[in-house]
Amino acid sequence: MSATARDKEQIGPETRGPKTAGATTAAPGSCVRPQESSPVYWRSLDELARTAQFRQWIGGEFPQGVGEWADPVSRRQFLRLMSASLLLAGAGFAGNGCRRPVERAEPFGKMPEDYAHGVPRYYATAMPAHGSAVPLVVKSNDGRPTKIEGNKLHPDSNGGTDRFAQASILDLYDPDRAARFARGGNTCNAEAAYDFLAEVGRKARQNRGQGLCFLVERNNSPSRARLRKSLGDQCPQARWHVYDPVDLDIHRRAATLAFAKPVQPYWQLDKANVVVSLDCDFLGSEGDVHNHIRRFSQRRRLEKTEDSPIRLYIAEGLMSVTGFNADHRLRLPGSAGAPLAAALAAGVLDAVWNRAGGAAAGPPVAALAAEVRKLGGSNLEALAKAAGVGAQWMAEWIGACAKDLAANPGRSLVVAGYRQPLEAHLLVHFMNAALGNLGQTVSFRPAPEADEGGLPELARALDAGEVETLVVLGGNPVYTAPADLDWAKTQRRARTVVRLGYIEDETFPVCDWHLPAAHYLESWGDARTSDGTLVSIQPLIAPLFGGLTELEVLARIGGAQATDPYGIARETFAGLCGSVPVEAAWRKFLHDGFLANSAAQPVQVSLNAAAVAEGLARVKQLSPLSKDRLEVIFHRDYSLDDGRHNNNGWLQELPDPVTKIVWDNVVLMSRQTALELGLKNSDRVEVKLGERIVRGPIWVQPGMADYSVGLALGYGRRQTGRVGRNAGFDVYPLRTTANQNIALGATVRAAGGACAISCTQNHWSVEGRPIVREADLDHYRQHPDFAKEPDAEMEELPVVAPLYPNPFDQLKRKGLHQWGMSIDLNRCVGCSACMLACQSENNVPIVGKDQVARGREMHWLRIDRYYVGRPRAAKAGPQGGESFFDTFRTEAEQQFERWIEDPQVVTQPMPCQHCEAAPCENVCPVNATSHDQEGLNVMAYNRCVGTRYCSNNCPYKVRHFNFFDFNKRPVGQFYLGPFGHRPDDEWDLIKMIKNPDVTVRMRGVMEKCTFCIQRIEQAKIAQKDRAGASGDVVVPTDSFTTACAQACPAEAIVFGNLNDPKSRVSRLKKLDRDYTVLKALLTKPRTTYLARVRNPNRAMPETEGTR
Amino acid sequence: MSAIFPKWTNRLPVMIITGTLLTGTAVVAGMWYYLTPKYSRVGYQPVQPVAFSHATHAGQLGLDCRYCHNAVERSWYSNIPASSTCMNCHNQVLKDDPRLELVRQSAQSGRPIPWVQIHRVPDFVYFNHSVHVGRGISCVECHGPVNRMEEVYHFQPLSMTFCLDCHRNPAAKVRPPDKVTDLDWKWSDDPEENARLQKANGEKMVRDWKVESLQNCSACHR
Repeated sequence: MSATARDKEQIGPETRGPKTAGATTAAPGSCVRPQESSPVYWRSLDELARTAQFRQWIGGEFPQGVGEWADPVSRRQFLRLMSASLLLAGAGFAGNGCRRPVERAEPFGKMPEDYAHGVPRYYATAMPAHGSAVPLVVKSNDGRPTKIEGNKLHPDSNGGTDRFAQASILDLYDPDRAARFARGGNTCNAEAAYDFLAEVGRKARQNRGQGLCFLVERNNSPSRARLRKSLGDQCPQARWHVYDPVDLDIHRRAATLAFAKPVQPYWQLDKANVVVSLDCDFLGSEGDVHNHIRRFSQRRRLEKTEDSPIRLYIAEGLMSVTGFNADHRLRLPGSAGAPLAAALAAGVLDAVWNRAGGAAAGPPVAALAAEVRKLGGSNLEALAKAAGVGAQWMAEWIGACAKDLAANPGRSLVVAGYRQPLEAHLLVHFMNAALGNLGQTVSFRPAPEADEGGLPELARALDAGEVETLVVLGGNPVYTAPADLDWAKTQRRARTVVRLGYIEDETFPVCDWHLPAAHYLESWGDARTSDGTLVSIQPLIAPLFGGLTELEVLARIGGAQATDPYGIARETFAGLCGSVPVEAAWRKFLHDGFLANSAAQPVQVSLNAAAVAEGLARVKQLSPLSKDRLEVIFHRDYSLDDGRHNNNGWLQELPDPVTKIVWDNVVLMSRQTALELGLKNSDRVEVKLGERIVRGPIWVQPGMADYSVGLALGYGRRQTGRVGRNAGFDVYPLRTTANQNIALGATVRAAGGACAISCTQNHWSVEGRPIVREADLDHYRQHPDFAKEPDAEMEELPVVAPLYPNPFDQLKRKGLHQWGMSIDLNRCVGCSACMLACQSENNVPIVGKDQVARGREMHWLRIDRYYVGRPRAAKAGPQGGESFFDTFRTEAEQQFERWIEDPQVVTQPMPCQHCEAAPCENVCPVNATSHDQEGLNVMAYNRCVGTRYCSNNCPYKVRHFNFFDFNKRPVGQFYLGPFGHRPDDEWDLIKMIKNPDVTVRMRGVMEKCTFCIQRIEQAKIAQKDRAGASGDVVVPTDSFTTACAQACPAEAIVFGNLNDPKSRVSRLKKLDRDYTVLKALLTKPRTTYLARVRNPNRAMPETEGTR
Repeated sequence: MSAIFPKWTNRLPVMIITGTLLTGTAVVAGMWYYLTPKYSRVGYQPVQPVAFSHATHAGQLGLDCRYCHNAVERSWYSNIPASSTCMNCHNQVLKDDPRLELVRQSAQSGRPIPWVQIHRVPDFVYFNHSVHVGRGISCVECHGPVNRMEEVYHFQPLSMTFCLDCHRNPAAKVRPPDKVTDLDWKWSDDPEENARLQKANGEKMVRDWKVESLQNCSACHR
């Protein structure tokens, strides 16, 4: 049929014209006009069906009027009917024909004050962690938290965070969280649980707390302490037990014992010139890592040749992040820590005596001198053997180290790690006292007396049947308790068990009542950071699943009137703030995130000789280790902590800073140990300690002590969520009460088979390329420009200048800003907080173990970790005589090479370099990647067709391709494509964590670091908004930065405007240590690096032959 | 050799090629015309749940755009007002009018009115209202004479071409910031004079305000 002019009038687009006031309105196209002022645009067939015409129409087989279209009247009627049938036909198309789908815009019913959709809001809060807290500012989009940053305002923070803080936001949106109240495993309602808690409290108050026991995690929340005290007043016989599998409280215990005062040590590394660490991984797995990194890196600033960076000595069994950054490293099994401390203490005494005479060291030190000397001398042979060196060499090492310490009285620091026994800590305090460091590099603040029991005491009480009601707040004791306590059975001995848990995990079946715990991002509360400042914990969102905080549970049991955590926190604050009016102070407290001047003042301490002498008596004789008598070191996993982050996809996929392994834990051992046991990487072995066995794959770890085996906690959980399932193996079964950190007498033998290990960097050496430039301090002082020297190998390339002029050279004149980045390899410690910050900010997906094994991990920023051969071995050539074109070797070959036994380590963050002459831009067939006038290499995802030529051409390999729609498909089901199923609950929560300002990329699209273009745009737009009708459009100096730079506690990554001479990045690029990676390729990257400079002690025995 | 193929197959290649070319051209031409924003979006005028007339409120009553779309100067998103904003007046004006029943219910219950979204750019485009509105681009340039619309319709295609046309020549569109919400405003009633003044003043404003008017991909595509 041909459409007539009149028909066009009715259906054509021209009728959808402007409706001016007063004109007759034309029918809007081929749809039936709805009723005047009807609330809903009809779309449903029901409404259509109500019309008589329709009923008549469907009655007949053919639409009425088919034969009548010669008649004008019925032609119109016919068209009306036809349009109705067209609609019917198109009912499948979203119910309204081939029309644009209706999208709704739903504003508020009642406008909230001061809210604008699209403008994020920031709230200060804090993350409680192992007895301390990390001060944070969290970004909230539309009432939900999306990004975690540090709180720059806090007096003890530079805005940096650690890995766990950055990744903790994913824990909030964990679909496997406990979302219900459960009684006996069955869902019950919240009221029943509240009634039960009240009942527990009532009964407890009646019989003065007899039979009531609490098992809690360590934290220093003043509110919890206050509630505990009030509970204790009402129920004096109630018991309070604290258990943390990673027990960082030893620092407090040792200090309290050593100084006969309840104190907590606070390390001020930035005041030290020399630091000696005895198995203390203060940059990686101790508490308060963000603080230590900050202070340590501050002292690693090297802007002029006169600067003298901090010097770090370490003696450790495992290779750790702190070991990466040490100038002198001694491989020593963890069990030799106390004997080494004794030997070093003797050395320090001698050195101090020689310098300043005996009296200078102070009476307590002098009193212990004789004993220390005796102890120190006795173990030297055994120590040397344990370290695999000669006794003479060992004596020289200790002597030179001690002399260096003594040369810096009050400016040195000795620290011992949490795994070391009490006697090692006491000796360390002794040394600090002798060196005059007390109150200088280590200060002591009053700590509350610990009035608590531990897990063994609770086990005893349970076995004796003394426990009526056991209240477990947090933690996962069935998984983490020492194996000899057999906690699953023991906990069941309590009459009733109530647990506040985050996931329905291993402890869930052994509970009568299970209450869902609130995440800290959903909680009101408070905490203290390590310097003693009171910080607030403010929720960013109401509890997603009705979770409870610890405070609420304690308040309900205590029968308090006010059980809301807000009220509790406020009341605590009112008691602590000491100012009137409280309301104004409270608002400021919440705004800033901390209470100014609330840090306790440091106290004077002096060594208690008797306590130290007692500790000395406990230092054991070193028994030799061998391949049949190995030492096991249980260490806190860098990603999963003690297992609490097992279901956190980001942390599972974060390459371990040391091993670069993802989704797995391994049995770490040294090359020598593996050789003697006849094992190689990925071999499945059985580790036997006493009668207990665990099985897992081995991994040869360069730099590890011989006859020491490292086992990471937190894996192999039996009851965990969909992410953590089948990841790694459980090592807790080997752990007993007596040996929670270091155990002796283990054997390892092959158990047959191999396990697939996904490692993101199984290539351990630099292979002669000038990617990381480093030198020691003397060389730097003689050749300040050493980093810029052209590399002998790469200079052979014939290209010295490009053929064609670079169009960007013209374009950049138009830019208001020119963005650049400088990464200081001296300050970067390798903590990997930046990787998680980038993942959080830019919606970077996880891909799972299998895809990582194929090299498809999506991290936009990666940290390359290279082991560097011993300097004297490297004298023969860049790689000991090998040339650039030798075979590319991976760990499969390198695990057997001698040079890995005692390597130095460098770490290098590698994001997109934003090259001015980017090789990726020239080769894109669709021009999806281009250069903007401010220097950024820009990615337009919608243009990308997935040729992958850009990634092919990138010399830095920083481009990542989305192979399987990683954002949409669940991990492990990629090959099913659209047939894979992602449960709705997972979808809902995953959507909430995405940053709305960044595209969520789809399959087939290339992505890479964008220098946080969304933050750049946000800053530029904010400045233009402020400028309005003026030309003041340049972003203020250093007013914003990229996610990685903001998260870095070491301030190693610096981003800014190169056009602005006052910006930090401009200043840093002018330094003599500045160099470009692979400069000879003439890519002209905007990201440059500052070379690593080590500060070795010339007097140490291993430094001959250093470059 | 006997003929394997019948004679008519000789013409087949030519027919196929011609046919493909013609069909291809037709398809491309059809898509180019019908499936691009200029045709598919312009004129879209869905019926809203409440028959709100901009002509009455913004035109006749002279309400400033920003009275309701209050976040437009702060955010990338120009918000649709909450029902409580409507009630600011309508708790007195037309207090019991049945046409406002939905608004009253919404303001009281807090449940939103399900307005139909008209202007929308694809998800991979990040458009920011505040920087345009605050720097002299009037609402009328993209949204048309809303103050004369009984029912809002899509006035401009809002395609990338449309955005670039202005970004390539911002001087033709900037106006003093205080006139941004004055949709009927012109430099002068005389069209020639208006064009001259727009050119001269526009160029001056672009220079003075350092209007970047970015044309690189990162400006809109992140």
